[in-house]
Amino acid sequence: MNDILRQPAEVKFAAELAALQAEDSGAKPVNWALSPKAVMTYLLGGSTAAGVKISPKYVGNRRLIETAVATLATDRALLLLGVPGTAKSWVSEHLAAAICGNSQQVIQCTSGTDENQIRYGWNYAQLLAKGPSREALVPTPLMRAMETGTLCRLEELTRMGSDVQDTLITILSEKMLPIPELNQIVQAKQGFNLIATANNRDKGVNDLSSALKRRFNVVVLPMPTDLEEEVGIISQRVQEMGAALRLQVPSNTQAEIAKLVTIFRELRGGETLDGKVTLKTPSGSLSTAEAISVMVGGLSQATWFGAGQLDADALSPSILGAVVKDPVQDRAVLEEYLETVLKKRADYAGLYRSLHELL
Amino acid sequence: MASSIHYLGIRHHGPGSAKRLLAALQQLRPQLVLIEGPADCSALLPLLANRATVPPVALLAYVTERPDICLYYPFAEYSPEYQACRWAHSQGAQCSFIDLPVAQQLATQLAAAKAVEAAQASADAEVPDGPSEPSEPSETDEPDTPPDALSAADEDAELGAPELWQGRDPIGQLAKLAGYEDGEDWWNDWIEQNQDDDEALFATLADAMGELRAAAEFAIEQESPSQQRNLLREAYMRSAIHEAAKQCEGAIAVVCGAWHAQALNTQSAKADRERLKTLGDKLPASKFKTTLVPWTSPRLAFGSGYAAGVAAPMWYQHLWQCGQSPKPSSDVAVRWLVQVAEQLRQLGHLPSTASVIEATRLSQTLAALRNRPAACFDDLRDAIIACLCHGEAALWQQIENRLLLGNQVGQIPPEAPLAPLLEDLQNQQKRLKLKPEALPKEQQLDLRSSAGLDKSTLLHRLLILEVPWGRLSDSGSSRGTFRERWLLQWEPEFSVRLVENLVYGSTIAQAASQKLKQSLLQEFELPKLAEQIHLALTAQLPQAAEFGLVKLEQRAAQACDCLELLQSLPELVDILRYGTAREISIGHLDELVQRLAIQGSLALPYASRDLDDEQASRVAQALNGAQQALLLLQETSTLNDYWWPALTQMIHAANTTRSLAGLAACLLYQQQQLATEHLALLLQRLLSPGVPVAQAAKFFEGFFATSAARLLYDPMLLEAVSNWLDSLEADAFVEYLPLFRRVFAALDAMERKRLLDKILRPGAALNKQVSVTAESLELWQNHLGGLTQLIAGAADWATTHEH
Repeated sequence: MNDILRQPAEVKFAAELAALQAEDSGAKPVNWALSPKAVMTYLLGGSTAAGVKISPKYVGNRRLIETAVATLATDRALLLLGVPGTAKSWVSEHLAAAICGNSQQVIQCTSGTDENQIRYGWNYAQLLAKGPSREALVPTPLMRAMETGTLCRLEELTRMGSDVQDTLITILSEKMLPIPELNQIVQAKQGFNLIATANNRDKGVNDLSSALKRRFNVVVLPMPTDLEEEVGIISQRVQEMGAALRLQVPSNTQAEIAKLVTIFRELRGGETLDGKVTLKTPSGSLSTAEAISVMVGGLSQATWFGAGQLDADALSPSILGAVVKDPVQDRAVLEEYLETVLKKRADYAGLYRSLHELL
Repeated sequence: MASSIHYLGIRHHGPGSAKRLLAALQQLRPQLVLIEGPADCSALLPLLANRATVPPVALLAYVTERPDICLYYPFAEYSPEYQACRWAHSQGAQCSFIDLPVAQQLATQLAAAKAVEAAQASADAEVPDGPSEPSEPSETDEPDTPPDALSAADEDAELGAPELWQGRDPIGQLAKLAGYEDGEDWWNDWIEQNQDDDEALFATLADAMGELRAAAEFAIEQESPSQQRNLLREAYMRSAIHEAAKQCEGAIAVVCGAWHAQALNTQSAKADRERLKTLGDKLPASKFKTTLVPWTSPRLAFGSGYAAGVAAPMWYQHLWQCGQSPKPSSDVAVRWLVQVAEQLRQLGHLPSTASVIEATRLSQTLAALRNRPAACFDDLRDAIIACLCHGEAALWQQIENRLLLGNQVGQIPPEAPLAPLLEDLQNQQKRLKLKPEALPKEQQLDLRSSAGLDKSTLLHRLLILEVPWGRLSDSGSSRGTFRERWLLQWEPEFSVRLVENLVYGSTIAQAASQKLKQSLLQEFELPKLAEQIHLALTAQLPQAAEFGLVKLEQRAAQACDCLELLQSLPELVDILRYGTAREISIGHLDELVQRLAIQGSLALPYASRDLDDEQASRVAQALNGAQQALLLLQETSTLNDYWWPALTQMIHAANTTRSLAGLAACLLYQQQQLATEHLALLLQRLLSPGVPVAQAAKFFEGFFATSAARLLYDPMLLEAVSNWLDSLEADAFVEYLPLFRRVFAALDAMERKRLLDKILRPGAALNKQVSVTAESLELWQNHLGGLTQLIAGAADWATTHEH
């Protein structure tokens, strides 16, 4: 086992991709590594004719992924929207890995991102020595993707300033990047496209201009619709991460995940699952991703400090950290939830006791 | 004997089926077209084919005595049955229905309904204290739920296939083989949306269904009630086809659900006769009626509870229209998307043409990805959400209903046999130019014009008949009494409800009057009685009104509850005022109102003692209403002798509920029945430190709840109040802060600001005195005379008062 903390998708799932590619006879858009149908299989799981099992990467509405893949096949850019923790970046990474075998052309958009990080920069030593020339030009991931006909990912698009966002307009509509300094243009090869992700909870940051918005097909990724689905997602990811981090995954993990998801869904939705008690909601988003990290945190605690026992005491500190983002308000919310709901449930007695102690 | 019989299996509301059916008929040119539909309704087929018939329409069959027992057979423009019928008539071919007669089905339903009633009656008999009034027959069937007739007529979903066959649906099996997840999708893609006219498909389909049926044979033998019905119907149809074939020389086309096609094409005359013997008795022809009624497009949808309905009627309509136009079929998606963009624009969004192009491309790619021959409804929806709605499904949901369900209302030809009430309604609709529409529409009526008055009368009468075609949107008379605003929305079941009202009479006026009398007879509460009499007057039903008045007087003689007395006053006063404007004998209602007012006044001081908040607020409401009514009536003697003393008594009695005492004081003060000095004294006394804060606060609330604005103009009041507020302890003040807020919330921002100014700078606005200039006084007198004449309309006012 190598010592890379986290391998990119195309490396980690290289075997699956190769198996799909081996028997992929479907029509492929130019420069695509797999046909759209094989991409669907890669993302949603299944098995190849040769019997290689393809693990599901995204659990949820098939239609959404179909729309996303079809969008990329039409040369329209794809914008994945969703609240934090709805697997936007995850889907984006796997789409890129499956479609062009490279998920590493990423631009992380922040308020500090400027045009040079989107279009191209200059190697100033070269620039001074030779003047403006292609040798002095430093390409960005976006420019490389255009030149090679591959996918470029933009993470958290709306964090970037609006003026910088609008640099994308020409690239998206005319598929070319002008370099006025050299009187040249870079024309995108077929297969080039963009996958952007953005958070629609704090969308006030730098809202997309309507000109830019019109150039994206938008797919909104929802929170998992039901308890079972969410439990399924979490247990799958916890297993994977447990293996990668060499944590023990005890047999009662599934049951604990179900409890955790119940708590998260109830707090998130503002009422108990049976609809009988209304609750206050905490300020955090309590997403599936957070539930995963709570579980992994719990497993870590159990492995290193708790003799491998995943019990309430191992989970409670992580739950507390996930729920209580605001030390005053959220604490009150959790306290109320403990006293009015959890206290009455016999199978949550352990969690109730240890959370109560921690508060 | 017929030369050949062709079995054409279709889906009941399938545009593709309809199109292919027409092509097949054109090819086969049969002399006789047999359609799956109730055999004894064949007489209505010419009407259905009539040019003046605009679908959606439905065949309606109802039991004459019990119109609530009825059956519907809806047809859309794209229903193959409808198209087959039209084709037959235009080509001079014969056409008839071959399914189980309605007479038989109605008889079964009637028997079932009677059995239920008998069971109820015996249950009532066992409990002698139970409601003695017989329940109205029309209420045994909730009109809102789709009549079970719908499911009875077509319980076997769209194709006539048993919905669940050993837990699986047979069409779904076919679809799975074709790589689909859902039978519905498969059928849509290959049958309905497949725009070719290849009639060979009918044979293929019949074979496929035959195979499925054979595979399901063991399941069918189990004979669940619905299976049994299915087999019975098929037996009936077989024998009907057989009969028809004997008399027809040429080719015969049988149009039936695809599921039945193969089964009808078998010979088992003997078994059929055996089976048909199990049929129950028919209802005699005189006991039921059949007719054509207008239907609406939303009610064709599966979601409306119509078991054989389709998911999106307007999408099918669109498919049908595209199929009829000579343009290539790729237009289906584009035209649909343009419609969607148009709808979005109407909602104020601006999807550009470029986005529509992108949506078209995306839908095509999606269809390819999903292995579909062409973009279907789901692909289009996903593309619309991604490209035109910025990924927001909520936006799509906003237009979804209008887009998919539409608001079409069918029309029936004038010569269709109408239920008398429907006929009356249609006549009136034509006369008043009121068109029934499926989506809500607002209508302003001016009651001063005869057209407006007539419309209002009709709508009110329909309301009485529980046909809420129009809803009165502001019943409060804030916009003047001569104006009414109605929200009109026609639902197809209204036709049924009208027919149900046949028991009351054969015209709308007659039925409404009779029905109102019935409900007056069962009403014992004064306010409700008054309300209904008022309704009778508004709906121009003098007979019912007079009947009600008699009843009211009897009832009033026994009434003694103060609240009831007070509550009935406003309506009665309205009636009085109304009655004087109409040619109607309101008898001695005048005296009656007076008597009720006096009774109420006398009871009031006692009725307002020691009440809890809820009751107090109810009495307060009645008190306000009654006072307004009495003032309108200008009955000074009653007011002076009874009403004011009653209110005064309320203030002074120590155990009057405080908030009501406050209200009484307020009402008296407003009408200048309580002198300013007295009020000052009263406020001081009741708000003084000795009175518990809780009580003082209640009094305060009662007084100012409706008259906080008074503080602006009345320095004395203001002073008393501010003194009281100043004297409150901090704790008590905080405790009653919500109450004060409530009181002052009645003021708008401007008024609050002025009040604040007044309190903070008391001298500024208060002492503006108006002085009279003596020398101008005479001049003013002169002008006043001139004005009076001007107002009176004198022509020569200027000359008489020149100087």
